[in-house]
Amino acid sequence: MAVLGYLANGLVFSSIIVLGSIGLSLVYSIADFANFAHGDTMTVGAYAALVTLGAVGGLGGAVLGLPYGFFVALAAGIAVAAVAAVATEKLVYEPLDTDSIGLLITSIGIAFVYRGVLQIGFGADFTRFDVQALRPIASLLPYGVRVTLHDVAIVASAVVLVVGLHLLLQYTDLGRKMRAMADNPELARVSGIRTKRVKLWTWVIGAGLAGAGGVFLGLFNQLAPRMGFNLLLVIFAAVILGGIGSVYGAMAGGFLIGMINQLTPLFSDVVEALPIWPGWLEAALESLVSIEYANAIAFVIMVVVLLVRPNGIAGEAAT
Amino acid sequence: MSPLGDPRGAPSGLTRSEELVLGVSAAFLLFLLVAMLTGALGPTYFLFLVGLAGMYALLSLGLNAQWGFTGLINFSVAAFFGIGAYGTALMTASGSPIAGGLSPLAGLAVALVAAFALALLIGIPTLRLRADYLAIASLGLAEVVRLIALNERWLTNGSAGVRGIPGFFRGWPVLSTFPDAMPGLRIEVIPGSPVILETAFWQASLNVLLVLAFAGVAYAVLRRAHRSPWGRVLRTIRSDEDLARALGKHTYSFKMQSFVLGSLIMALAGVFYAHLNLYVGPGDLDPITTFYAWVAVILGGSGSNRGALFGGVVIVAIREGTRFLNDVALPIDPAPLRLLLIGVVIVAIMRYRPQGVLPPQRELIWPRAVDGSGAPETPDSGVRERKGGGEDE
Amino acid sequence: MSQDNTNVADRRTLLKLTGGAGITALGGCLSTTDDGDGSDGSGSDDGDGSDGTGSDDGGDSTDPYEIGMVDSQTGSLSPFGERNQRGVDLALSAVNEVGIDGRELDVIVEDSGSENQSGIAAAQKLVNQDGVPFLIGAVGSGVSLAIYESVVEGTDVVQLSQNSTGLELTEFPGLLRMSPSGLSQANALADLIADDGYDRVALTYVNNDYGQSLTDAFVDAWDGEIAYENSHDQDQQSYSGVVSEMNGSDAEAWLFITYQAEFTTMVNEVYSSGYEAQFYGADSVSGDDVIENTPEGSMDGMRIVVPSAPVEEENYQSFADAFAEEYDRQPTSWAAYAYDCVINAALAIQAADEFTGAALQETVRRVSAPEGEAVTSFEAASEILADGGGPDDVDYQGVSGPIDFDENGDPVGFLQIQEVRDHEYEPVEFTQG
Repeated sequence: MAVLGYLANGLVFSSIIVLGSIGLSLVYSIADFANFAHGDTMTVGAYAALVTLGAVGGLGGAVLGLPYGFFVALAAGIAVAAVAAVATEKLVYEPLDTDSIGLLITSIGIAFVYRGVLQIGFGADFTRFDVQALRPIASLLPYGVRVTLHDVAIVASAVVLVVGLHLLLQYTDLGRKMRAMADNPELARVSGIRTKRVKLWTWVIGAGLAGAGGVFLGLFNQLAPRMGFNLLLVIFAAVILGGIGSVYGAMAGGFLIGMINQLTPLFSDVVEALPIWPGWLEAALESLVSIEYANAIAFVIMVVVLLVRPNGIAGEAAT
Repeated sequence: MSPLGDPRGAPSGLTRSEELVLGVSAAFLLFLLVAMLTGALGPTYFLFLVGLAGMYALLSLGLNAQWGFTGLINFSVAAFFGIGAYGTALMTASGSPIAGGLSPLAGLAVALVAAFALALLIGIPTLRLRADYLAIASLGLAEVVRLIALNERWLTNGSAGVRGIPGFFRGWPVLSTFPDAMPGLRIEVIPGSPVILETAFWQASLNVLLVLAFAGVAYAVLRRAHRSPWGRVLRTIRSDEDLARALGKHTYSFKMQSFVLGSLIMALAGVFYAHLNLYVGPGDLDPITTFYAWVAVILGGSGSNRGALFGGVVIVAIREGTRFLNDVALPIDPAPLRLLLIGVVIVAIMRYRPQGVLPPQRELIWPRAVDGSGAPETPDSGVRERKGGGEDE
Repeated sequence: MSQDNTNVADRRTLLKLTGGAGITALGGCLSTTDDGDGSDGSGSDDGDGSDGTGSDDGGDSTDPYEIGMVDSQTGSLSPFGERNQRGVDLALSAVNEVGIDGRELDVIVEDSGSENQSGIAAAQKLVNQDGVPFLIGAVGSGVSLAIYESVVEGTDVVQLSQNSTGLELTEFPGLLRMSPSGLSQANALADLIADDGYDRVALTYVNNDYGQSLTDAFVDAWDGEIAYENSHDQDQQSYSGVVSEMNGSDAEAWLFITYQAEFTTMVNEVYSSGYEAQFYGADSVSGDDVIENTPEGSMDGMRIVVPSAPVEEENYQSFADAFAEEYDRQPTSWAAYAYDCVINAALAIQAADEFTGAALQETVRRVSAPEGEAVTSFEAASEILADGGGPDDVDYQGVSGPIDFDENGDPVGFLQIQEVRDHEYEPVEFTQG
């Protein structure tokens, strides 16, 4: 495939990762712990959308190859994910009198609970949205770009949501308070910001974005109870790469990781073409830079970033 | 009852939770014994479960050495378990692509060396990181190890796994023929319902012997280590690393030592697993093993070795006990139910008893107050007078 | 146990006394078994309290005969588990309508979770706790082998795998299987693609035991050029890398050796990328889940080699009718294999002298071996045995094929070539493995 084609695929996959990584980064910076249930929150959103789409149907009309009903389902997915997160925060995290490590461990339990419930409800088998599959956009084919209208919809929606978040963070009261809390929670509280409320809103936004990411992941590929958890590590890599505590860093990290994941075949072509001096090094590189290790490459990059620049690309100053 | 109220009497008694656990465990053991004698529970199967419990206990002990002692959040348990298993498998199995046919003791040695090397490989980049980064990074690196085991066929046979692993006691003078040499026993407590113990039972008992030996060694080493000055430094690092550094301790090297120690113990669990199952595959490096070990440690009590043992038993009870649910017709599938149950257990523990069921008690008493024989000293006077110049032990 | 601060010494003495008393009491009930006792650790190690299995004489009690089954109820192979279950249930109703010498047959099913650890634990429970002398298991080839090597080998338990097609099972004559080895599939695929006129093929396979062994056999059998060969992991969100590399290899025949979920993703990605090629597939890419979740026209013309029951045979027809009546759908070959496993086991039990592993080892192959009168239902076979016939007097022809285990424990296999037409699977031809 042409380089443009890989880039286009990378863009689509990145959009999903970005939606996940922003949500995770938001929660990380304001609720102050690594939420291991984030991937399963995406799954929750996806399945909520599945149910809604099944109940509502197409509603006639379509945009970008997606029936109006799908967007209703998307909204439902976002809402349900947000509600689940708020409920979890109120019922589980808030009453917990423990540090961020304890919350991390608790979130693992919550992840299992989400996944167990979904699997009990929907079975372990995979399924897809009842949406007509599409052929690639003909006008882009000559450039080597093979994307469908659905992919365009995914990217467009992700852009809309991210821009919306940006506007929220920069120009609204809530956004200002969120940024203040992320920077310095004690100072924020002292200056009169009702931190509990801001935290709740953070959960709503973070989980909502995750839910959207899950819906698009289901559209991009398929739905299965494990779908979110499988992506979780990659999203963590994106957040760390971008810098914990920085939403914009998370966007950059998500974008990069998504691209790298899809560009791996291109990298392996490059590695094969390059003459590398010690034969064993060449053999090792060729075998390691290949599709089988696509995820591993993301993790290794994450670890390298952590070593070299522990706060990521745009992270806050060292604590 | 509490140590503060009655310092003299406290050490020889047990706390409420310990008594409860002891009581429940004793009742449970009694129940199992009765079940075995009446033939309701198969002795060989029971020994297999004991072996599994021992294996999870080893994993928890190893994780305890890292998390409980030093506060290292290690999510790469599965990788060390796997490397222990693969290390011995690749050395001893007939199906090994790179070696094979060596004695299981050689396998054990290779496994430990490999675990040591992997601990350095994973530890060096990650131990400088703060706790939650360490968690994520170690999880990612464990996945890399799993992918290597899955893809490098020349090294590990890839997804076909390594077959033909011999039992651990092959070639030993007495023990290798012990299962066949022992006469079959027939125990008839309830007439008409005999319990017959034959070769498979003796083989299983050898396995249990092995895991108990491993666990015993690990437990003893950890106990010693915990009470030593080394252990003291680790505990300081756990509660306040800056303080430890201010005291002039090279915290990074202590953390590495603790990490390596824990990893070696986890590799022991892997070695046992390989010689129990006689087959090792990349699926054994699935991250779910890491999460099970974590549940065991949290449930048992972070920093407590006895808690780790307890946690190991509970994990096996959950994993295999839910199998018996099949006999009871449930409207819900057992597998997602198990997942749900584990999640609920984690949340419940963190919510209602975050220190675990058997948190460390005497293990946290200042070592100077504890003499080498194990029972802590009871001070003759109150704490203040003691500090002020009362008699030292 | 003590509630207060009992003296440590007191408690210890109490424990010692109890222990001593217990051991003395136990000693009184102890005796050794005779040497050369017919059954080895498995069948007689213990008996489940509630029924009389594992005892030497099966004739006295009226409790059901219990055999065990390790199935993939959860995990990546759970679709196979579901199909197996339907076959098993149908077989059980057929068997229990007639009964085995007046007793029923019961199958205890344990979940392998499609992985080794749980699979071995499941087998341990069935063999050592439930004391079954006959074990049907498992689905995944790796799991079957693991169970055989760590639990069954060295005992007398009969193990019969219902769905494993991995090539290594042939090397273990003690491990029987009802589904033919993947070798026949690989050969058939190589012949099929060559016959269709292609000499270059791009191939991708799932990165596990099933995928690797089938691929190795195919590469051996294939005469032409392999333009692209790469594995892919299970359970991934996107396979666009693999798919685009296959496209870049310029081969016009693409072979997929993988499972339904992964294949569905690939088909959708091929479709939405606008690639075109002639698809070929091994058995596990075929299934309703794929049809339901892929767009019309995305797979048309694809040809799949499936181990199959002889669809034209009369006994298969009546099986298919009974199946459709019960479950409202057509049976898959996997259900047929599971069905035959249970029937074969039931006949082995009836023909055997006693309900032990050693006795069943003697009869299990002979009841379906070519010697004897060919029958196609449990009822008919059971009649012959009840009239005083021995295992050599009956030749059960299964719904999945004549069975006829060879010396390696592999059955004679039938293969079917399916083609996707109008987004449905149509049988094209049959070959024998």
